[in-house]
Amino acid sequence: MFNSFRKCTQRLMSTATQPYPFSSVAMVSAPPPTPALEGLKAGKGLMPYLRQRLLSPEKLELLARFGRRHPERILPGSVLQVTSKHAPTAFTGVLLGIRRRGADTSVLLRNVINRTGVEVQFAVCSPNVKDVKVLMRAGGRGSEGRAGKRMRRAKLFYLRDSPDKMTAISAGMR
Amino acid sequence: MIGLKGTLNVIDNSGALLIECVNVLKQKVNNGWGSVGDEIVCVVKRARPVSGQTSASAAKVRQGDVRRAVIVRTRKAVRRPDGRYIRFDDNAAVLLNNKREMLGTRIGGVVSADLRMKGWGKIVSLAPKMSLSITQKPGSK
Repeated sequence: MFNSFRKCTQRLMSTATQPYPFSSVAMVSAPPPTPALEGLKAGKGLMPYLRQRLLSPEKLELLARFGRRHPERILPGSVLQVTSKHAPTAFTGVLLGIRRRGADTSVLLRNVINRTGVEVQFAVCSPNVKDVKVLMRAGGRGSEGRAGKRMRRAKLFYLRDSPDKMTAISAGMR
Repeated sequence: MIGLKGTLNVIDNSGALLIECVNVLKQKVNNGWGSVGDEIVCVVKRARPVSGQTSASAAKVRQGDVRRAVIVRTRKAVRRPDGRYIRFDDNAAVLLNNKREMLGTRIGGVVSADLRMKGWGKIVSLAPKMSLSITQKPGSK
């Protein structure tokens, strides 16, 4: 019941241009999404509606890649590079864990810089986060011993205490 | 979160290796805990052995000296205004004199970029790399 409601609100909210039957050049934009659906006014289906409308489509797509059901989901143990807008621009690191809270989702990346471990927690839906690139998926390339094994944990905090496993992951990268 | 008895590594070439915090200055908030960019009064717990002749680099401190320092790395996560949290694997500091000038001349290690926001631009410019400003492969030295 909720799924069909969600599908019909998605179609209503699409702002794609619609073809104009009398000219191929003219483009008529769809009418703005009508927010005043009866059910919404009564409070039904409010949270799914907000989840669709709160973020831009690119951010929603980025969020979905960190979700649990995406076919190409990003697993902890992958090596990511996050590019941000302000401040120091790019940070590369092993993904230690994903904190899934909808729009408040954040990821924890760890890198070792100059023999000091640095961990940064990025808020995925922040406008400061420009791009997230997967440099190496979890499980390494082929089977290379430690780097090739699939990570059996959701949060890889044990990597903080074992620098050899971190170097194994970085060796799998090169 | 550095407070009384907190130990920090020293990452400049002033000669000290390990310092212990005695007091956090200018803290009316934060319950007296020091974070990145805060000045602390500290005791030098371990220092490099001082040679007889004076070397070309900065003044050497001895074990037992009471000095000031500024915290440059903390193990406790520090929040940036855009919602990022930065955490290092150790606590580190750089020694200062009473006029907020550095005692050493070089810095050997990354420092947090929050230092610049708190007014320690000179330390940030001396550090080899600012945190988050490089794209290295993870685990590499």
